[in-house]
Amino acid sequence: MKRCALLLLAAASCLYGVVALASTRPHYGGTLRLAVREAPISLYPADPSQSDSPVMRSLYRLIFDTLVILDARGLPQPGLAVSWQADPGNQRWQFAIRHGVSFQDGIAVSPDAVAGSLRAANPNWKIFAAGEGIVIECDAPTANLPAILALPRYGIAKRTGGKLIGSGPFAVKQWDPGKKLSLAAREDYWAGRAFVDAIEIEMGKTFRDQILEFDLGKADVVEVAPDQARRLAAEGRGIRSSAAAEWMGLVFRDDLRPDLSRDEAPDGQSTVEKLRTALAFSIDRDSMNNVLLQGGGEPAGALLPNWMTGYAFLFPTAADMQRAQLTRGEVPQAPAWSLSYDVSDPLARVIAERVVLNARDAGLRLQAVSSATADVSLLRVPLASLDAEVALTNLAAKLGLPQPKFDGDPPAALYAAENALLQSQRIIPLLYLRPAVAVRANVRDWTEDQVGEWDLQTVWMETEKP
Amino acid sequence: MPKATQPAVYNSRNLGMVMPFSSRRFRSLWMIAILLPAAFSFGQNWSGPAEQLAGKIVAVMGTQAITVEVSNRSSLAAASADEIRRGLLTQLAVHGARFASAQQAAASVQVSLSENLQSYVWVAEVRQGTNAPAVVMVSFPRAASVAVEPAGFAMVLHKVELWSQPERILDVAALEGSPAKMLVLDASGVIAYRLQDGRWQAEQPLPIAHSRPWPRDLRGRLVLAKDLSAKDRRFDAYLPGVFCRSTSPEAMTCYDGDQAWPIGNDLAGLNASFTASRNYFSGVLSPGVGKQTTVPPFYSAAGLLRDQPPGDKYAVWLFAAVEGQLHLLNGSTDQVVTDAAWGSDIAALHSGCGSGWQVLATGAGDAANDAVRAFELPGRTPVAMSAPLDIGGRVTAMWAESSGAGVVTIMHNSRTGEYEALRLTATCGR
Repeated sequence: MKRCALLLLAAASCLYGVVALASTRPHYGGTLRLAVREAPISLYPADPSQSDSPVMRSLYRLIFDTLVILDARGLPQPGLAVSWQADPGNQRWQFAIRHGVSFQDGIAVSPDAVAGSLRAANPNWKIFAAGEGIVIECDAPTANLPAILALPRYGIAKRTGGKLIGSGPFAVKQWDPGKKLSLAAREDYWAGRAFVDAIEIEMGKTFRDQILEFDLGKADVVEVAPDQARRLAAEGRGIRSSAAAEWMGLVFRDDLRPDLSRDEAPDGQSTVEKLRTALAFSIDRDSMNNVLLQGGGEPAGALLPNWMTGYAFLFPTAADMQRAQLTRGEVPQAPAWSLSYDVSDPLARVIAERVVLNARDAGLRLQAVSSATADVSLLRVPLASLDAEVALTNLAAKLGLPQPKFDGDPPAALYAAENALLQSQRIIPLLYLRPAVAVRANVRDWTEDQVGEWDLQTVWMETEKP
Repeated sequence: MPKATQPAVYNSRNLGMVMPFSSRRFRSLWMIAILLPAAFSFGQNWSGPAEQLAGKIVAVMGTQAITVEVSNRSSLAAASADEIRRGLLTQLAVHGARFASAQQAAASVQVSLSENLQSYVWVAEVRQGTNAPAVVMVSFPRAASVAVEPAGFAMVLHKVELWSQPERILDVAALEGSPAKMLVLDASGVIAYRLQDGRWQAEQPLPIAHSRPWPRDLRGRLVLAKDLSAKDRRFDAYLPGVFCRSTSPEAMTCYDGDQAWPIGNDLAGLNASFTASRNYFSGVLSPGVGKQTTVPPFYSAAGLLRDQPPGDKYAVWLFAAVEGQLHLLNGSTDQVVTDAAWGSDIAALHSGCGSGWQVLATGAGDAANDAVRAFELPGRTPVAMSAPLDIGGRVTAMWAESSGAGVVTIMHNSRTGEYEALRLTATCGR
């Protein structure tokens, strides 16, 4: 009996040993070294020519504050603005600006400076300083303006002495456009000094170069291609993948071919729509994800992923080759479509090749090309925000779709808007990709949000113990 | 999110106003918490959403004979999903729906219990004939989950949930008496809550003024003044570079200063200087442990009374140093404790079990959920006295109560995003 009890105790000890892990308080100091693919030539967050990737958004947040920030659930929280209020109609908004905040040159962040920065970021809005805050008059009712202002492109920036500065937690120490960015922690940052002393970012590095630098100990954190994450983790590297946060899919050119669109079928679908339907049914997303992506994503049937909306499962993702062939058979003659993709992206190439193969099995002819004016384009678009409406609006704009309209309360209004975009048959969702990074063991409290943005303010470096 | 149908308003907490109670949530009554060493559950009421969804379904398909299937795509437990299914069927019947077999039904309803970042989302697909399904849905905020507590070890640690709120809690303190009161310290100030008719009512907030930005990983401690009745009980609040003293139950004065923080309890007291711009103590002690007045910079400390030989009581102190080591000071020597895979947070507990005093410590890892375990130090190697107690989040603070009988522990619940204050106690025996 006693032996039995001891065995139970030992077993229970092992069980609880699993949870007997806990944290060490953050340490101050150290330099965090990153390597990234992005090679921006400007640090101006509202520069429309710059990438809107999670990496760039993460870097902007180090230098520039926004009026509002979104918490982990996508809810607006105070940033440079301590409070806000909309007039009835949600077209005119007032934001009270936080006191005691300074730009990196020590000059206080004033309502005038905030208004000037936002005017440059969005000329369509009328923005002016008013007392201790600012007023924004939008060109249309904008109920989710706080969430929009949380986008890094609305980071508050100021030019001084030919340099671009912000009020963020880090100051630019060295900037070699497209190559290297060195940042130093600000002691006087209003939300508390960051834990690391400095961040150094090597830019324009391929995935291959990055993992090489990681293995050589020259970088602490590097990006990892979604399809490589599983293999690199199996080799013992510390891999962190975020939620499915990058949409990948096919986008048809807006202008239908006249010779095809004229031929209306009895069921109301044009031949073009039938062919697009056949293509959508032919695609084997599970195989793409499991084989080509090595589980580095999720099959997509919608624009926004289920973790963001809760209803994406309503849009099917399973292939139905029989239905694809039947639908294709209703159209006597199908043209050959050209399919373009980013030739510099190896993942896009293999996905495009698989789309061509799936289409061929359904009796459709697709030809992968590098032309920008193809009939169909394979695109990758990162989700821009944790706010579902902002994310859908941004995604629609990037894909050249009409701007969604949200009438009513979420999630029904969101569903109606997204469903309308999908019913347009301009797009065929393929996959959601999971951004991933390799993180060295001495980098602690590395966190990224659901859309893949890094929180570099809370990272700290563990030093070797004596 | 604000919608066009109503003016969208957000105002951050105004320190001059009473906090709206709805933004904070108490988990269990303090006095009940002290008396009952068991965690309280806080279930969610599903009847409202079930009624709402049933109404929408019936509005689409009328009172025809239907089949209903419910699938769970969310983090809800199977038991909750089953409860929801029963509730939904009841509400459908109340709204006039009739249930039939698949062969006899005029419509089928597929209900999916799903969720997104903020809410539960229940979706019903109503299929009638060969038409495309009609889709209706309801959503409502997600509630916190209930933690499971381990039991069955020689010395058992218990946790009782005291308070939770979205803002980071630095410390809480109880004021026994009638009515009972609770003080909650966070970055913006101290709020007193008074227990009235079984509910905590917020009193006037006492804001903390500070000239410098708070450091990250902000820490703070509340210390109650001794020998005062609950009615006019006063307190001190210690934060990095700021010291506050309540001059009356309704007023508090703060000023910049590096007052040493009390880091022990009534039985083993010690003061230590806190580094104003960081998250650790500088290592300067007052009055000191015996002759020892400095240690390496540290995050937390625990003072243990020893009675060896019997009648010769003295205190030894453990310090969880910033450099990762654990230092044991006995008044004359500074020894490094070996084989202690502890985290940064430790606190003393006067349980009466074993030697009478234990150290509660987090472990040294990087998990989302911390565990706390009780140890004794007969020599330089810690001996575990309890099983690890899963805290349910990452510990951000541990402070010994002035009586020594409990340890107030603050943790960040990554599932809910809220900060929760717990009281840890121990019971002896298996």
